[in-house]
Amino acid sequence: MIASFDTIEAVLALCLTVSALVCLFDRHLVRACCFFVAFAVVMTLAWWQLGAPWLVVTELLLGVVLTGLCFFYALGHLLPGASSPLKRDTFNEPWSRAAIRLLLALAWFVMIGAAILYVIVDMAYSPSEHPLLLAGVVIAASAIGAFALHRHLLRRLLAFNLLGSGVFMLLAGVAGTSPPAQALISVGLLVAWLGSMLGALLIRQLLHLEGIEALGHDGESKEGAT
Amino acid sequence: MIWRFGLFDHTFEPLALTHWALLAALGLPLLLGLLAVVFPLKRAWPIVLASVPVLASGLVLLFAYDQAGLLRWQWEIAGVHLSLRLNGLSVLLLLMTQVIGVAAALYTPGYLRLSETGSLARWLWPLMGVVLSALSLIWLATDLLTLYAALELMGLAAVGMLMLSGKVPALVAGMRYLLLALVGSLTYLLGVALILGHWGRLDLQGLADVIEPGPVAWFAAALIGAGLALKAALFPLHAWLTPVHESAWTPVSALHAALVIKASLFMLLQLWSILLPDTFYAPRVIAWLGMLAIVWGGLLAWRTDSLKTLVASSTVAQLGYLMVAFPLLLGPDIAPLPRALAWEGFWLQLMGHAFAKAAMFMAAGNLILATGESTLKGLAGTSRRLSLSLLVFGIASITLMGLPPSAGFTAKWMLLQAMIITEQWWAVAALLTGTLLTAAYVFRMFRYSFDETAPRHRYQPLAPGMDLIALTLALIAFALGLLAHFPLELMHGGSP
Repeated sequence: MIASFDTIEAVLALCLTVSALVCLFDRHLVRACCFFVAFAVVMTLAWWQLGAPWLVVTELLLGVVLTGLCFFYALGHLLPGASSPLKRDTFNEPWSRAAIRLLLALAWFVMIGAAILYVIVDMAYSPSEHPLLLAGVVIAASAIGAFALHRHLLRRLLAFNLLGSGVFMLLAGVAGTSPPAQALISVGLLVAWLGSMLGALLIRQLLHLEGIEALGHDGESKEGAT
Repeated sequence: MIWRFGLFDHTFEPLALTHWALLAALGLPLLLGLLAVVFPLKRAWPIVLASVPVLASGLVLLFAYDQAGLLRWQWEIAGVHLSLRLNGLSVLLLLMTQVIGVAAALYTPGYLRLSETGSLARWLWPLMGVVLSALSLIWLATDLLTLYAALELMGLAAVGMLMLSGKVPALVAGMRYLLLALVGSLTYLLGVALILGHWGRLDLQGLADVIEPGPVAWFAAALIGAGLALKAALFPLHAWLTPVHESAWTPVSALHAALVIKASLFMLLQLWSILLPDTFYAPRVIAWLGMLAIVWGGLLAWRTDSLKTLVASSTVAQLGYLMVAFPLLLGPDIAPLPRALAWEGFWLQLMGHAFAKAAMFMAAGNLILATGESTLKGLAGTSRRLSLSLLVFGIASITLMGLPPSAGFTAKWMLLQAMIITEQWWAVAALLTGTLLTAAYVFRMFRYSFDETAPRHRYQPLAPGMDLIALTLALIAFALGLLAHFPLELMHGGSP
């Protein structure tokens, strides 16, 4: 029984990681958004698996439906007649900068991993018993890497949402699904949805005012803030 | 340190009137803001009317604290503990929030009438209401969940407010601010997750008892510190601040620079005093960054051509003064006298800067509105016609420079005294350099405006009261220095 339990969790963790990576690094924006919805659905299953029914409802409503709608609205797929110039984003960063971003993401990964090792002591001996927690670490790390790497605003919004999901996963893994943890995650999901909505409205407005170029550059690219 | 934040048991239960005052202080700004969507505001008198109960609630809470000392409220909802506390510091910050909020609201109708604003103007009111309610909640809350929710509400509403002008630069800068603020809050949440996972509770008073120094506390403090420093625009995470203010509406900039970024700083100090009461290096790192912030912010403000950038960069430098005080507040074996002096100086500087910066943004907004130019060169010749706006700018800069008898002077005097007692000569040097740099950029601005050879322009007349509101705020910053004993007594009351 215990073996099958672990298998389900491991499969969920694998699905989460794969869909997150596709969503973060696929150049095709519509496909990335579809994978985001798929990711959120798997998150819902994961909450079910962890025994947090309140979070299942919240994730389904806020994460899958409302945030998904935000992204498709930003892509211009919701309004009839609205043309959709957002198909792919191009990537022309110099390799040196990409390498620095990769190093930053790795440092972040190591830091979170170390912090969690201190909190959950037995994880050091049996990391395979916490597949969802491991998935959380990987997702959070690759999302922060993608957030630092991408300049396209929609990509950064997606990366933020995945970072949020990774952090919620870590929170649930570290603190269990006690009422305070569930409350924190619910507030976090609400905030992520509000932020995505604001971001989607902004992206549409920028597209309307400036055209497609406005999304790619993030203003002048000052790097101090990331 | 912890008792200074009021994290100890109370003696008296709050009275019924106090409950109502608390409800009004937390809920009224939000409610009034929502009302203003339904009934659009054109004049200032409804705001005067609406501000009476808000300010009254603050005063009732002040008297309640005066009578009964520390007050606490606790609830348990579905297994989650929520708690609020009211001590001298939170009363002071609450009153400051209400006064600056009312001033910004009173300033707004005239500003909106004179500048061409789109149809989005009516949404300013509910967002302003959310920001003020959330700020009041942050000053009072003592559990990590409420703090998180209030911080996020405030942050999102602030982003919305800053982008209402709808221009492309405002949208691009606002989008960047939104993304960074959201990532900052996730970093904070991760820190909270470590705390919850290791100690299993979220209320600050209980955490203060159980937290012992160790790797978990350090990681949590680092994550929370990074997230909040990003939101507070502490050097070197300040790059988003100036572009955001560049094209925002004046009352919004005033609220944001005066209050919103201070909330994250308040939370940072409060949480670090629980997580890192005796660490040597963390507060020193903040202080070193603060010294750089003073110099770098001053240089940015000195070299800029745009009036709003000048005011916004000076915020970076002024936050540096607060960062420099960190090693005097947190750390092992600090003598009681310098610690008390630094504590008083820190909050007096924070409040003086809030009032002065709000006044300065309003004065700068008035000058830009009247001349139609946003560069320093465009100010040439304003001394003949817009002397009142320049006077407000001048009074506000006296506080920022720290000349007597302003709040800035009293605060810096206390900080200097504490630094000299503890022999932190680098911090003393940074404080003095900062004063010189502030003088440099303020006088550079005045040199342009007192250019008598400039041709005469036609200036747009300002709405009545716009200068007076700014003047009132600048004079409050001034008076805080002269009457400093009143806020200082409040900050010290309630010690066990």
